[in-house]
This record gives sequence, C-alpha cells and structure tokens, in this order.
Amino acid sequence: MTERVFITGLGVISSIGTGKEAFFASLEAGKSGITPVEAFDAARMGRKFGGEVKDFRAADHLARHEVRTLGRCSQMALAAARMAARDAGLGEGALAGPRVSVVMGTTMGDADVLEVLDKAFITQGPEAIRPPAIPRYSASLLPIHLARAFGAEGVTFTLPAACAAGNYSIGFAADLIRAGKADAVVAGASELLQQLQFAGFVKLQAMAPERCQPFDKNRHGILLGEGAGVLVLESESRAKARGARILAEVGAMGITCDGHHVTRPHPDAWGSVTAMRQAIDKSGITSADVDFVNAHGTGTKANDVAETKVMREVFGDRRVPISSMKSMLGHCMGAASALEAIGCVFTLERGVYPPTIGFETPDPECDVELVANVSRKGKADIVLNNSLAFGGYNAVVCLARPGVLPEPTGGEP
Amino acid sequence: MKPRAITGLGVLSALGAERGEVFARIRENVPLRSRTRPASQTLGEAYAAAGAYEIPDFSPQKYLGEKGLRLLDRLTRVLICTARLALADAGIKQSGAFLRLAPEDVGLVCSNAFGSLEAINDLHRTATLEDTRYINPAKFPNTVSNTACGYVSIWEELRALNVTVSDGTPGALDAAFIADMHMSLGRAKALLVGGGEVMSEALWVAWNKLGMDPLAVPLAEGAALAVMEPLEAARGRGAPVLGILAGYGSAFEAPTRRLLHPSPTAMERAIRSALDDARVAPGEVDLVVSGVTGISMFDDAELSAIGAAVGDAPVAASKRLLGETLGGAGAMSTAAALAWMAETCPLPLVRGRAPERISTVLVTELGPYGSASALVLKAAT
Repeated sequence: MTERVFITGLGVISSIGTGKEAFFASLEAGKSGITPVEAFDAARMGRKFGGEVKDFRAADHLARHEVRTLGRCSQMALAAARMAARDAGLGEGALAGPRVSVVMGTTMGDADVLEVLDKAFITQGPEAIRPPAIPRYSASLLPIHLARAFGAEGVTFTLPAACAAGNYSIGFAADLIRAGKADAVVAGASELLQQLQFAGFVKLQAMAPERCQPFDKNRHGILLGEGAGVLVLESESRAKARGARILAEVGAMGITCDGHHVTRPHPDAWGSVTAMRQAIDKSGITSADVDFVNAHGTGTKANDVAETKVMREVFGDRRVPISSMKSMLGHCMGAASALEAIGCVFTLERGVYPPTIGFETPDPECDVELVANVSRKGKADIVLNNSLAFGGYNAVVCLARPGVLPEPTGGEP
Repeated sequence: MKPRAITGLGVLSALGAERGEVFARIRENVPLRSRTRPASQTLGEAYAAAGAYEIPDFSPQKYLGEKGLRLLDRLTRVLICTARLALADAGIKQSGAFLRLAPEDVGLVCSNAFGSLEAINDLHRTATLEDTRYINPAKFPNTVSNTACGYVSIWEELRALNVTVSDGTPGALDAAFIADMHMSLGRAKALLVGGGEVMSEALWVAWNKLGMDPLAVPLAEGAALAVMEPLEAARGRGAPVLGILAGYGSAFEAPTRRLLHPSPTAMERAIRSALDDARVAPGEVDLVVSGVTGISMFDDAELSAIGAAVGDAPVAASKRLLGETLGGAGAMSTAAALAWMAETCPLPLVRGRAPERISTVLVTELGPYGSASALVLKAAT
C-alpha cells in the first residue's frame, strides 16, 4: 500500500516573521516585509527595497561552531529546520537514522561564503584564499548541515531548481516517502538576499522600485527577498504511531520544463498548465476540487499573463481564488515556494486565503479571482502551490487537509 | 529502483569527445597524469601555461552550429553537446528532429557540483574591479545552478521534467535514482541521466589551494549523459541496450566537528543498500568501479567499505584515466563501466584481478562531507 504523506512540522525564517505563528499572523494581516535593504548598498544600483530578514540572529538558533562555520543561507535553513522539528514535537534523536532523509532547495546556497573567497582571489590573488575556507562553499552543504544536526542517515540531496526549488524538494520528499524510501524527510529551501543577485535583476530591468504588485496593471516587477522554509514530512504510519499532530497532507507534484526560454515563461504556458494538471490528476482529484491557488506571482507582466492562462486552461470559467505571497515577502528565489508551501498550510489550517497586497488597478489581461489587499475566509480543503523558475522549470505541489485526498496510488507496476 | 535500460550514451571528456573515441582511449589504459597536460582553453593567462585536462579542442560549433552560443557558459555548451550525442546515440533525435517519442516524453536529470562558478566569478570580477552596475545582465542567468540544464531542454526541446542535482561527487549516481523515481511516477518515458563539470579558473585555483593536484588524480573536465528508458520498452522495440541500471543506495553519516568526513560507514551502507535494491549478492559483483583518487584519507575509507561489503571483488580506479570530474564523476565512472561491459575496455585496478567477463558492476562515490552513493549496473543480456 502506498503511504499518505503528512506535514507535521513547520519552520520559518522570513521578513514577515520568524516562526510559524508570527508568519501566519502576518499572512492573515497582509503585513509587508519590504524595507530598505541594509545588507549592502542597494541604492547605488538604483533600487533599494527588498524582503530582507532583519531580525535573524544565528546565535539564537545555532551552536557557536555552527555560527562560525555556516554561511547565512545554511544558518537560516538550519534554524528553520530546528523550528520545524520542535513544531513537530520531535525531540533529540527523533529525526536520526537511515529512514530519515533531507532534501533541500536553493538557488545560490551560501553565496556569502563564495563572495568572500571570490573577492579575496580577485583583489589579492590566490595567496589570499585560506584553504580551510574552501570546503565551506558547496551547494551540497545545505542538507548536509541539517542531516548532521539531526543525525539523519538517509539521502541528503540538494535540488537547486532556482525559484521552483522549494516545490522540487517538498514534492520529491513526498515521492520518497510514498515510494517507501524514507519514513520522514526534512524538506524545504533557503536563500539569502545577495548583492550579485540583486544587481542582476536590476540589470535585467525586472526590479520594482518599491512594491511588488502581482496582477496589477501598473506593476513594476519583482522585489527580492530572503528566508528559509523547512517542513517535516512523515509517512502516515510513522506520524500516527507516534501520535503526531498532522498539519496537512502532501499530494502529488506536477513537474515539467518549458524548453523555451531561460528567463521567460512559455507564452502559451504549456509547461505550467501541464504541471498543474499533473499535480491535480496524480493527486486523484479534479480541478473542481481545488479551492485556492498560491500563485508564483512575481509581479512581472510575463509571469502574470502566463499564470492567468494557466488558471483559464486548468479551471475554465470557474474562478478559483488566487493570491501571491510575494507581494508581502518579495521573491525569495529558491526559498520562495517552500515559504509559500508553509503559507498554503496556513490556508488549509485556518481557512484563510492570504492577500496580494498593494493591488490597485485590475489588469484586463489578468482576469483572475485575486484575493486583493485583505485576506479572505473561504473553503480550504485542497490548494495548489504553483512555481516557475529560470531554465523553464515548472513545479506544482498539491496540499490538502489531512484525509481529504483519495488514497494515493503507486507508480508504474 | 526498477531495472532501467541505457539505450544511448553521450560523453565528452579529457580523453576526447564522443563514445567511440573515449572508449578507445580508455582501452589504451594510460593514466591521465601521464598524458600531456595541454595548454588551457579556460584558465587565465597566469595559469594557462600550467595546462589543464580539459576536453581537447572542444568546439561546440561542431555539434551546435554557430548561432546562439555567445552567452552560453562552458558547462552549458558541454552539457548541450553531450545531450545531443546521447539522444542521437539512442535514436531519439537526429538532425534536430525527434525520430521517436515526443518532446514532452523526454527530460533530464543531471548533476553538477560547481556549475555556476565560472559565471559567478566573472560577475564578481566586474562588481569588484568596476561596479555592480556594470555586470552583464545577459550573463546573469548563468549564475543560477540549474540554468545549464535548463538550456539543454531549450536547445533539445525536451519538455518533460528537468532536474539539477548538486551533491558533490555522488551527485551523478543520485541523478540515476532521482530519474528512476520520476520515471516510476510516469513523468517521462526517457530521461537523460548523468552529470558534468567543466574547468574554470576559480575551480582550478581552489583545487590547487587545497593541495590536491600533486596528491590526487588530476582535476579534469567531463560530462556523460546516458539515455534511460524502461527496460521493457527498450526491449519491446528491440533497441540496443548498453547496460542496465539495476540498483541504487545512498547513505549519510554525520561527521563530528570536522566538516570533511569521508565515511566508510556511509559508503558500506550505500553499497549494501544498492546490492539489496538490485537483488545482487556481494559475491555476484564482478567489478567495483570506485571513486578512488589517490588521497589516502578518502581512498582508505572507500576501499575499506568496499572490502567490508563485497569482499575481494576487484576494484578499478576509473579516475586515473578520466580525472576527477566532481559533479560528473559518477556519470564518467558509469560510462567507463559500460565501456568495460559492452566493449571490453579494461580499467586500471587497485585491488584484485578482473574475471574475463564482466556482467555486474558496482559504481561507488564517496562524498567529502559524510555522504556516499552506489549504483549497480548489469550487462545487457
């Protein structure tokens, strides 16, 4: 029998709150995490706002040696993971052993560590690089640090799927459990707000000056953010055996590639439509069962128009509520869809759709049922978390109230 | 994992380009370090004279034509060429047209460890020496780890899933498992599976700063992508099968305070898990294609684990011929194993004597931080 996969713990580091409760309260209130960036001199690049996490102190969550040796991206990931374990009621050693895996996503990982190494090399030559610092940079380190902290001994995978990385890791983690390859998986993603990435989006002319306004006719583009979202996923049998509080169920992931353009979604939205249909079909439901869609919602016209096509193609005339948390968080890149998956759990748990704040002017090209400016109560049994990414990546994960989805079926015989 | 047929192989390496040439060079059995280190195509003037084991005379134009290459970084070019070779070898695509299957049936699962390093270093150089305002936006997407794989799907019109894996040296073996999982869930009918790594100045400098070059097999470029298909489907259409992916295992052992932790415990568990998955007894392993590199701290851990798990099975060191290709390593070792199984191209052995016929191969990779992966390959029967 294929196991159901349950979310039993959540950990959040974000610009709108640290920890699940603060994050949920901010989502409901429509609180903005957008502030002037302080980590570097952003203003000289012509833009200065972002979803920067101002109150994260690694020492509040990590041991001294971890603070000393981990980059900020790993620090946030580990802090969020420890919160998630606590939220799941898992004490010391409860995530240890070969049946526990760690799957994490990111875009650039510990880019701060690399930046220091790179700048030393560029300005002073190779002599300036201290060899012990070199192994501290590797994208593969995110899950290693988490597995190390928990004593997990299963697979430790990094899936650097850019802005879809959170969905990739959560979706694949659920696949692992359903396939019987793991009983529990710590999954999520982490990203730091970094100067090079900030400059890159400014140069691509994709960065808004002050606000991210998805689906608004007068949108000006994205704002970058940072943070970490980590979830504890457990098999039904493990969760029930230990009497775990079950927060939500993870349905199927839909996953495709546009094969069209490296930074722009396919104009027909074929890949995104197909991924959403896969997530629906493989979860054993129909589009009529979906109550809410968390949009990728970056605030670029290309994205918003493509997602509008997706909604029309998948749901027809049915106006399913849709919203973008990026209006509050900024675009947290690799961490985005992990944080938003946690936001989807908020919707399922509280029956509240988070708002798209800053919405002013409807866009005739984006005729969607937007949850504009204020959160809205509504039916929330099954939601979809949509994500798109550089490289033409599309990933959609279905999340549901526990027990609502049909029994999962296995894969090929 | 389910038994999966390998129906095509694309490979570019420091030994040469394309399967036939690489296999022929493997047959020569000359350690890479004994071969001339050619002048570098990628390193700056300060290092070019030292030479580097890159893909010799790599010319993407030969495979891809002249247009559209300017903004692609080296890894992207290498992976697209490798993918094109693999798809042609499997008879899926030829001259840009799908001969069988549809674009939405074919995807990619590919490992690289430091794929975006070249682009990040390039933009950091501009930002540091000039100003962040002057970075080239067209090169910015290359700073994102999965972009190279994304470009493969764009160039080859592959519209099934595209997954980048970044797990260091075990990554390309992990890619096979991840591909199998996705295929089991009906997300693709054929997947390009493997990994690659290319030379860049930052990587070369880091390797040398760690003091690896005089100790270990040399750092080298390489990419290998196998076309993986359901075994029944491949047999059903009478496709030539180069080998069968039969089992996978992976494990992690938490290090103590030290970050670097080559773990014999994780390696042994990964091997046992892969053998169980493939339903292969330790005594049935004809050959282990290990990841040993000449660094005793790592080799001792890997070899002791292999000995504990499969006894006195002969152990080969494919990296002596192909170099250390990091994120591509497991894929290069898999290609070398196929070379031996399919075309009797022997690899240098560090332990034991190989039987005349090699039917079951265990490929192992030990990560530097406590992880390890293993893959079981069987000869096509």
